[in-house]
Amino acid sequence: MREDNLFGEFLREFSRNRVAAFAAVVVGLIVLLAILAPLVAPQDPYDIANLVLRDARRAPGYVGTGGYVHWLGTDSQGRDLLSAILYGLRISLQMGVIAGGVAFVIGAVVGCAAAYIGGRFESIVMRIVDLQLSFPAILLAFVIAALLGQGRYQLIMALIFAQYAYFARTAHGAASAERQKDYVEAALSIPLSHWRVVLRHILPNALPPLIVVGTVQVASAIALEATLSFLGVGLPPTEPSLGMLIANGFQYLLSGRYWISIYPGVALILFIVSLNLVGDQIRDQLNPRLRR
Amino acid sequence: MTAPLLDVTDLKTWFATSRGELKAVDGVSFSLAQGEVLGLVGESGSGKSITGFSIIGLIDEPGRIVSGSVQLEGRELVGLPAHELRAIRGKTISMVFQDPMMTLNPVLTIGTQIRLALEAHEKVSVEEARKRAIDALAQVRITEPDKKVDYYPHQFSGGMRQRVAIAIALLHRPKLIICDEPTTALDVSVQAEILAEMKELVARLGTALIWISHDLATVASLADRVAVMRRGEIVEMGSALDVLTRPQHEYTKALLDALPSRAKPGQLLLRGSGVTDASPPGRRQSTASLPPLGAPYLVIEGVSKHYQKSHGLIESLAIKAGWAEQEPVVRAVDGISLTLRRGEVLGVVGESGSGKSTLGRMAAGIFPPTSGTVRLNGKPVMSEGPRPSKITTSVQTIFQDPFASLNGRMRIGDIIAEGPIAHGLVSRAEAGDYVAQWLSAVGLDPGFARRFPHQFSGGQRQRIAIARALAMQPDVVVCDEPVASLDVSIQAQIINLLIRLRRELDLSLLFISHDLSVVRHLCDRVVIMYRGKIVEEGEAAEIYANPQHDYTKRLLAAVPVLPQAAE
Repeated sequence: MREDNLFGEFLREFSRNRVAAFAAVVVGLIVLLAILAPLVAPQDPYDIANLVLRDARRAPGYVGTGGYVHWLGTDSQGRDLLSAILYGLRISLQMGVIAGGVAFVIGAVVGCAAAYIGGRFESIVMRIVDLQLSFPAILLAFVIAALLGQGRYQLIMALIFAQYAYFARTAHGAASAERQKDYVEAALSIPLSHWRVVLRHILPNALPPLIVVGTVQVASAIALEATLSFLGVGLPPTEPSLGMLIANGFQYLLSGRYWISIYPGVALILFIVSLNLVGDQIRDQLNPRLRR
Repeated sequence: MTAPLLDVTDLKTWFATSRGELKAVDGVSFSLAQGEVLGLVGESGSGKSITGFSIIGLIDEPGRIVSGSVQLEGRELVGLPAHELRAIRGKTISMVFQDPMMTLNPVLTIGTQIRLALEAHEKVSVEEARKRAIDALAQVRITEPDKKVDYYPHQFSGGMRQRVAIAIALLHRPKLIICDEPTTALDVSVQAEILAEMKELVARLGTALIWISHDLATVASLADRVAVMRRGEIVEMGSALDVLTRPQHEYTKALLDALPSRAKPGQLLLRGSGVTDASPPGRRQSTASLPPLGAPYLVIEGVSKHYQKSHGLIESLAIKAGWAEQEPVVRAVDGISLTLRRGEVLGVVGESGSGKSTLGRMAAGIFPPTSGTVRLNGKPVMSEGPRPSKITTSVQTIFQDPFASLNGRMRIGDIIAEGPIAHGLVSRAEAGDYVAQWLSAVGLDPGFARRFPHQFSGGQRQRIAIARALAMQPDVVVCDEPVASLDVSIQAQIINLLIRLRRELDLSLLFISHDLSVVRHLCDRVVIMYRGKIVEEGEAAEIYANPQHDYTKRLLAAVPVLPQAAE
């Protein structure tokens, strides 16, 4: 058996769960659409020159001034909703991946270091993590976002701060288990430097649970970002993410113009649920205890 | 002549795998008389356990009994419906497994588990079940059975747990008990007790016994007849004395020759001694600065390792206020001094929990002692200060479990080259050749460097672990039970490898083991450890011939010995 064979086996087992396989396809499709948004979207929603007030709040299927069909209708400024959703996904995805990725790295380093160094350092760091985990992530993110003010980087900081603790705790658990194993003692016996032991030996073996947490946390970062933007402490209106789109349409919901809020909401839910399903399946496959 | 109790004819149990049928048991036939003890011996993968499972009908998918018959008192068991097999299992035939921690339910008391076993085959009241449980425990010589019946499995030692498993197996007065490596996980002294008790019980109750083991000597002390298995077949069967003293089959001879207890100390063991491996690469640093052979080299002085559970803030306050008690200190190693001379092999012998592995790890600089010093050639092995780290590469370690001691995510080549590159013994460019030389020196194909550890067997992995340790060009190697988890023939190869490499490289070895015959074979001097202390120390030959301390005497007496051929 070679390494790539193992990967092939992983894919084969993954595709055996139809729901997860379908979810993976949805995730892939959404990511692709989001990346290619400037190419596939009928309109550039950021370009104010494109917006015609006469087209505002039109129902799905309306043929606008631009001469093309607004499949999902238009919002209060006459933006094509489909385009806005695609561009919004792009922003949401960026925020989620960057925040999730940085939180992953910080959490993995903090967790592994705590497990490896042990003693007082471990107790202090892990108690801070515990303390943070005892607050809802949304509350922490809200407070930080409110303190730092609106803006892309401020929001990413808030998301990282709210999320790194999950990675740190998972990494700490996995690394503590690996720390006890003979191969780590073998590395110490050579002796290899502490950095090398942590980065080359403990971290790669502690990675599987982190990857699982990673997929789920990216989904949760996207949801968090949408929530904060919806509440008005997230991204500025110049960068309309999905949460902002939903918030914009909120006031029209009762007047029957459901599409302005509902369609971005559906896109958000579809993406987050799919991402979670994929994460669940990866967790089941990487956890030897759940293996049949 | 009466009909046999059990008659197995041409039994074939195969497993469907992605690479075709695996013939785990392939045409095994034997019969067993009432009250007879049969020893089923073989190395791992020989099919001995699967034979036992097939008899009792415990073969799971993808395995299946392809053909053959198993007749118990004339009744065919192969193909019997599951509920009828269940009625036989535990009642007429019962089984004892290797690891009693796995077979006893940790959340039920021993008494409850015995009651459940009773209720599986008869109707008993709770009071009667309790009474019978107490009797059953008394029968396997558990002291204070009326108290112990309410204990949970974790409150028992390994030997006691195995006694409980035997008590449960004996509950329904079965006609046949199948024991699958029941003493493998136990210390020699406990094993000796269980063997003696088992022998007596079987004789008294007239139960037939199939004793499955990899260890020829334990089988020899118990069995009337012995069957030797290899690759799913019985290659030789006969009376225990005949098979073990006058083996006919080549494989049986090879197995016996691989035992260190049958060879002269220090000699290469016969099995695999003909295999010539390449010489190890030459040393990069001159050995001129080292003391002469025989001079004190690794000096361990007054070393202790104490473990105490660390307390949190609230706990510490509670202890100060007198509301909670301080956890007792565990003295894993308690004030040990010993000297390893350059070029010698010093054996450290002890049972589990004696602190021998902890001592080895301190000698190797893996963790610092609580007090005392470890010095190599006058220089400390670990740095001073609050967070000591190892500062020499001259002491290396070989671990017991080659499956745990290799990082599964690294290639073999990287595992061996990592240390030498990090310490500048070789450059990155030379590393490939260096690794190849070491792989051939430990008898492996140099092409293995690109592979991952999971592609290798236990013996091959241990060779890789030896190459990793020796590639650092150490003077001292701490060997922590390096052959304990290997089959006898593989064990012989690894012992031969160690003997050869030690000679060629002038290594000094600290050889930690529970196996007295391996230690006798390899070591010049021996220390005996018991509960963190050294109880006896001396020349190996002297200690084995004339033990002074009571514990040493008990330990030596507990070692099962093979019958010697009358010549």
